[in-house]
Amino acid sequence: MKGYFLLQFKMLNRSLTAFGFPPLLAYILLPVCFVGLSGYLFSKTEFAEYIFLLLAFALLSKQTGRKRNEFLKSCFTRTDYIKLRLLENFVLMLPFAMYLIFAKAAIFVIPLVVIAIVFVFITNNTTIQFTIPTPFYKKPFEFSVGFRNTFFFFPIAYILTYIAVSEGNFNLGLFSIILVFLVAMSYYSKLENEYYIWSYSLSSNLFLIEKIKTALGYITVLVLPILITLSIYFTTELTTLFTFLLIAYAYLITVILAKYTVYPNEMNIPQGILIAISLLFPPILIGIIPYFFFQSKKRLTKLLP
Amino acid sequence: MIKIEKLSKQYGQIQALKSVNVTFEKGKVYGIIGENGAGKTTLFRCIAGLEKYDGQVTSDFKNLKNHLGFLMTEPFFFSKITGTEYLRLLGNARNIKTLNIQENNVFDLPLSQYASTYSTGMKKKLALTAILLQGNACFILDEPFNGVDIESNILIVEIIRTLKALGKTVLIASHIFSTLAETCDEIHLLEKGELIKTVVKEDFEKLEHEMRDVTIGNRIEKLNIT
Repeated sequence: MKGYFLLQFKMLNRSLTAFGFPPLLAYILLPVCFVGLSGYLFSKTEFAEYIFLLLAFALLSKQTGRKRNEFLKSCFTRTDYIKLRLLENFVLMLPFAMYLIFAKAAIFVIPLVVIAIVFVFITNNTTIQFTIPTPFYKKPFEFSVGFRNTFFFFPIAYILTYIAVSEGNFNLGLFSIILVFLVAMSYYSKLENEYYIWSYSLSSNLFLIEKIKTALGYITVLVLPILITLSIYFTTELTTLFTFLLIAYAYLITVILAKYTVYPNEMNIPQGILIAISLLFPPILIGIIPYFFFQSKKRLTKLLP
Repeated sequence: MIKIEKLSKQYGQIQALKSVNVTFEKGKVYGIIGENGAGKTTLFRCIAGLEKYDGQVTSDFKNLKNHLGFLMTEPFFFSKITGTEYLRLLGNARNIKTLNIQENNVFDLPLSQYASTYSTGMKKKLALTAILLQGNACFILDEPFNGVDIESNILIVEIIRTLKALGKTVLIASHIFSTLAETCDEIHLLEKGELIKTVVKEDFEKLEHEMRDVTIGNRIEKLNIT
């Protein structure tokens, strides 16, 4: 079992190095970022504990993959497997638990521990025959696949909008828009197999435009209920709302393009830094988007001449 | 028509293809055979434009890849994409507006299920259906019979014959000689990245015997099976 965790540690180091992060630096920066972002979240919303639980839930559920667990079961005895999975889940939930205690919300550690234990015995059986319906079936794949993986986020976002309206909290309404956009952005985090790009009889230029068009159309469908609700109940904030929406669209375009700027490699530090700068100073997106577009176009020309 | 001239490909120190010269005509079916690592898939990837190479690949089309259906040895599927969506995705990629997916489901695949849950043979059949629906002029079929059931095997052979009759160019790599003999007009033997032999239909039987002799040799005796 010790060997397994050592191997995990090595794999993590390799991933960090491949991402362009020296592991040592990452081990210093990651906790700092975690604490910083958590602090920000807790200062901005009273629902931070629930969002924390949701994040932990998403992280722990990632460990329940069928293939992964079947492999572990075939390598270890039943007892060792349970010990290993428990340890794994507790390591993952530890930062969340510690912060919750620090934020005087220790009561939320209990459901966290329960999730960590329950998930040891749950395997995400991807071979089940039930297909989750998606409204985005006409233009696969990012939104159709992504929606199936994250559909539960949307009712949460709509509930947050409802709370925002009933509590008269416009910022919470904006947060629900952020949530929808963040979820949609995650659909573009993974690189697709080259075959799915190669198959297109489009130039790299048109391919990128097509991707952006589809994403903007589909995200509008998802965000429209929130937008209409907020427009009706916060009539004095319309300018803020639509400016905010425009910026959110710009970020989505940036993320889509960032994925292809170094294709077939994963997004790297320079792109990450540019996106981070744009978070601090959104007008820079006016320059970043054309730059990413040009870089992506160049990268895709090999597959889409 | 696809014309390949002096096609070479190197991966680091490994010379995967050495100055390959061959022409694939319209309305003909070509088999590419060779042992594992001989360069079959690399040749296909070069033709498809998925690899950089030295030499030339020319065709009747300005951009061959837009008229090429490539069935890969192991087609890749996203984890939560249904069979229907996969067909639609590849149809959209080639701007095919109207797809009668249910009617075209000749392999009776469970299209409403996630493609990633399909068996190896079903995945192959889905990927094959997709490239057929694209209406391509040229086809590269890398191991199309792998893991496929006997009924589908028969159907695929008939599909290849139909493609030939329609004037399409078809390249097949397969380790199952009988299916190649059934469908191909010519078979090219690839060895360590070089095309060492081209055999026409009349000599297929001879080629099979030769390969059998070379491959088997005295290896069975060496096993000392008792």
